[in-house]
Amino acid sequence: MSDTDAGRPPGAPASWDTAPADVDLGRVWTGVAAQVWRRDPGWVERLAGRLLRSPGLARALVATPSLLLAWIIATLVVLAAGAVATLGTGTPYVALFAPALAAAGVAYAYGPGIDPAWELSRSVAVGDRMVLLVRALAVFGLNAALGLAASAASGAAAALTFGWLVPMTAACALALAAATLANSANVGVAAGVAGWAIMVLAGRATLGQYTAAVTDSALVLPYLLFAVCCCAVALFATRISRGTS
Amino acid sequence: MDDDGLVARVAAGDDTALRELFSRHAPWLAARLRAVLPAAEVEDVLQETFLAVWRGAGGYRPCGAAGGWLWGIARRQAALLLRRRGPAAAVLPGEVTAGARRAADPVELALARADLAAAVAALGPPGAPEREVWRLLYVEDRPVAEVAALLGVPPGTVKSRAHRARRRLRAALRAGAAAEGGSR
Amino acid sequence: MNVDITDLTRRFGRTQAVAGVSLQAGAGVFGLLGPNGAGKTSLLRMMATVLPPTSGRLRLLDRDAGSYAPRREIRRRLGYLPQNLGYYPGFTVAEFVEYFALLKDMPPGRVPRAVAAAIEQVGLGDKARAKLGTLSGGMLRRAGIAQAIVNGPELLLLDEPTAGLDPEQRVAFRALLRDLGQRATVIVSTHLVEDVGAACTEVALMDAGKVVFHGTPDELIARGEGTGAAGDAPLERGYSAVLAAARSTTAVA
Repeated sequence: MSDTDAGRPPGAPASWDTAPADVDLGRVWTGVAAQVWRRDPGWVERLAGRLLRSPGLARALVATPSLLLAWIIATLVVLAAGAVATLGTGTPYVALFAPALAAAGVAYAYGPGIDPAWELSRSVAVGDRMVLLVRALAVFGLNAALGLAASAASGAAAALTFGWLVPMTAACALALAAATLANSANVGVAAGVAGWAIMVLAGRATLGQYTAAVTDSALVLPYLLFAVCCCAVALFATRISRGTS
Repeated sequence: MDDDGLVARVAAGDDTALRELFSRHAPWLAARLRAVLPAAEVEDVLQETFLAVWRGAGGYRPCGAAGGWLWGIARRQAALLLRRRGPAAAVLPGEVTAGARRAADPVELALARADLAAAVAALGPPGAPEREVWRLLYVEDRPVAEVAALLGVPPGTVKSRAHRARRRLRAALRAGAAAEGGSR
Repeated sequence: MNVDITDLTRRFGRTQAVAGVSLQAGAGVFGLLGPNGAGKTSLLRMMATVLPPTSGRLRLLDRDAGSYAPRREIRRRLGYLPQNLGYYPGFTVAEFVEYFALLKDMPPGRVPRAVAAAIEQVGLGDKARAKLGTLSGGMLRRAGIAQAIVNGPELLLLDEPTAGLDPEQRVAFRALLRDLGQRATVIVSTHLVEDVGAACTEVALMDAGKVVFHGTPDELIARGEGTGAAGDAPLERGYSAVLAAARSTTAVA
């Protein structure tokens, strides 16, 4: 019925009967309503649609809860506060905050815990794994960019400025795995933030400084391996046979 | 809610008011347009008309003449469409231009026909005294004496009815033009 | 044949939700009746490609639902209304329907008209820009139906679509079903027997994961005649009679 409108819609007013018989007012109104009700995609969505070659995927990306303006602003505020605090005290707060923030963002990107239309989303042509992947990458990328900017602004050493990208990957992967396994975004946030906090505290306990979790180069490979494992878990958790009975 | 209120709501972005306006006015606008345009073109013009209403409702000054304003927009949209598609779209088969005076602009001719039909409707329903006099005296071009005999009234009555009919037509045509001009 | 199912089963742990169902359906409105727990929702979810079957063959729209690419193609031509329709409270009706139209890979140029037509067809024309969070249960259900029909699907799966609709809306909905059933296969799962009688050309009755009756509504009525089964209407009596017969045979066997 998309192109061939079903004539007079249910509940059309009787006044339409006074129109000439060969003029389809239902069709006219559908044409008017189509322009009045449509949502104009912004330039971000249009660009994403072209890059991803799928307007549906672009719309899903733009609707990500953790890419909403409010969330981004909150992230910026926390990072800015961290940068300011770093300038004041010297402790690289940005490097410590950024992985946790990113992990929370990734956990809140997709999943039954935060997507009420979860069941419906699994029946559509744009696959939910694609949506998850695109959203997680977008959130990760955005957080990385914001964190880098904040880190550079806070004048931290280069090693610290980039060093937290690897732990951030691991923290995000952990959040993703937990969220998809438990079908809950909150579990994902808790796992990601807690896991990162444990790493930081362990670094302090064993090597004497909070930033050990970030700067210790021996941890790079374990972090990456861990991230890969978590991604595999997330892949497994989102296989199609997963369904709440 | 009256039409002025509805247009004000449309200007404020209320699409349900547009829907109500459409259900009230689209039928008669369609009928009036149908007198000069084929059905498919009528649909296109109506669609463009109401989209123009949606976008331009802010320009309407509330004066109780929303119908005239709407017809003005529809007329403009019809003219646009006819100019785009060529005047052949306007002329209905079988129509003969009485007097065969070549109109400078066939588009305007078609629209003038619609305007006249609307103004004649202002004389009253078919069978009303002024309308009957109009039909017999001016459309069928009969002499006054014959019209008086057909209607069973003295010739003086025929002349005074004709005078009233001309006055009303003039007022109706002027009102139509004024509505169009008053909406910017 | 838009739906071609052979020996479909679905098991959750130790429970057999669907225990060997075979079904073929072409264009028309197909009713799926049965008590709660009969397996209707699981069957519908398998047909919506949301749940994979444990065993059996599932062919939808002449494609194999088990492989990725055909499944994506099926999903483009599918409309699904789940029993629990989640919705985004901050979305308007139009945004909601448009969102799922895009997710079903509809060409963006066709989307606005299709969305407007779907919204008008379910009678939500004056609520198109109202936020979903402000709507009543029946209106939400209708919004769900709108997103299911927006892409003009060849296979439409509706799970309890009339929940929350008042009688006048139910009548309008049945008219809509009949209209849709002329071009597509519409499968309606419901426990309201009268919905089935008014709109469906074929009925299947499920109990404990199996299909215990498959035929026309008149045949179901005939099954209930003279048996003294419970029910206020002929269809209800047929329903009870068939269920009773099915359960007594399983008790014996």
